[in-house]
Amino acid sequence: MNDTDLATHEWWERYKETVNSDPEMGVRGHDKFNDNFYVEIGDERFLVEMQGGKVRDIMPNPTLNDRWSFGVEGSREAWEEFVQENPPAFNHEIVASHYRSAVRNEDGHLQMRGDNKKIFQNLRAFQRTLDLMRVAHNNGGS
Amino acid sequence: MAEHGTVEPITGKYVHTEIGGTDHRIYFEENGPEDGIPLLCQHTAGNNCQEWRHLLTDEEITEDFRVIAHDLPYHGKSVPPTSQSWWEEDYTMTAKQFTETLVALADALDLDDPIYMGSSMGGNIALELADWYPDRFRALIGLECGAHSPGFYIDWLDHPQVNTTEVNAYSCWGLMAPQSPEQTRRETMYLYEQGANGVFKGDLYYYSVDHDYRDKLDQVNADECPLYIVNGEYDYLTTPDDGRETAKGVGDGATAVEMAQIGHFPMSEHPELFNAYLKEILADITGDRDETLPDVLTPDDVGIELQPPAPAREKPAE
Repeated sequence: MNDTDLATHEWWERYKETVNSDPEMGVRGHDKFNDNFYVEIGDERFLVEMQGGKVRDIMPNPTLNDRWSFGVEGSREAWEEFVQENPPAFNHEIVASHYRSAVRNEDGHLQMRGDNKKIFQNLRAFQRTLDLMRVAHNNGGS
Repeated sequence: MAEHGTVEPITGKYVHTEIGGTDHRIYFEENGPEDGIPLLCQHTAGNNCQEWRHLLTDEEITEDFRVIAHDLPYHGKSVPPTSQSWWEEDYTMTAKQFTETLVALADALDLDDPIYMGSSMGGNIALELADWYPDRFRALIGLECGAHSPGFYIDWLDHPQVNTTEVNAYSCWGLMAPQSPEQTRRETMYLYEQGANGVFKGDLYYYSVDHDYRDKLDQVNADECPLYIVNGEYDYLTTPDDGRETAKGVGDGATAVEMAQIGHFPMSEHPELFNAYLKEILADITGDRDETLPDVLTPDDVGIELQPPAPAREKPAE
């Protein structure tokens, strides 16, 4: 895939399939990951609905009728770096990126939003779902 | 892979060490000649001496150096002191306690002119050691060292409604370079899952709160005790630029080196690459290296060929 495909309908379908077939998502309680999260890429927001550690649905432009616990926001450029097979330092993982944004006040990195307690209760599973964006983007790994 | 029946040359022992008037039974592992240059290795916050297992079996390094890696009290096999009701208060590490422990341990083991090396909180403490105990060490290697590393003293790392075993480990996942081998990155996280409740957070009190040398770098005596500040490219907490700035602030005797293509847990996330980088630093300390250390050490410089980028997941069969 190339970066112009990022977040197209086909891309999200591939992502959903990648998460839902990932062996690690079921390990150590990850199948209890039930909190929805959103991914904001530039001006576009997508709601990822989770159920039992699997992606139930991905919905563009969520509204007041929808619910989520947390999300990740960043420019399209930051996301394009994040999904690279060999991502550059500080945009290679969500906590890394968040730290450079939230603590060091740098631009150009992804930032977590929402309920921090929920984030830490689901950290590994949430982190894994984000890492799997890289797998989906690069056709299943190198 | 080692052959079936291979016995590694590492030995493990306990040494009773008096720290602040209290007896501590400290576990350490070592390998190398008894008369080799002692190289005392400090693990990262919330971890234990197993982080150094690949250095302890490096035949080139242990030919000349007596490599010693210990578990701080409350970590690994160093249980809390039996004379204290330690369960009645939160574990909290401070710079004073940390340096006193390291010096007491070097004394208890009767180490003559040792080199100190530590990573992360073990890297930051190199500044306090150079400030307070410059005559006790031959040289100090601060891996992932900075004057200030805020923002990681986090309540969620010791919280009853959070799976702290997993969170303590995977909050560190992104501190490693994605190029480092998956097996050793996962092993590093596995080691993080060994820690007792509250110990990682308590260590981070030192790391992110008590340690602040931004206005005190002129107190650091690197001209008396050489100080190497060696930071990985992917370390987002104390970046190579932070290392350069810290070394510049310290001045004479301080050397900053960036390690390319590696992160915050170099000795355990990519042992082959780190050990090769470390040999360059050790050669500089012993005077066996003629040229000045470069600003950036790369895999090419040390003859290590990186594997292709580690996939986040194996590609399914077609």
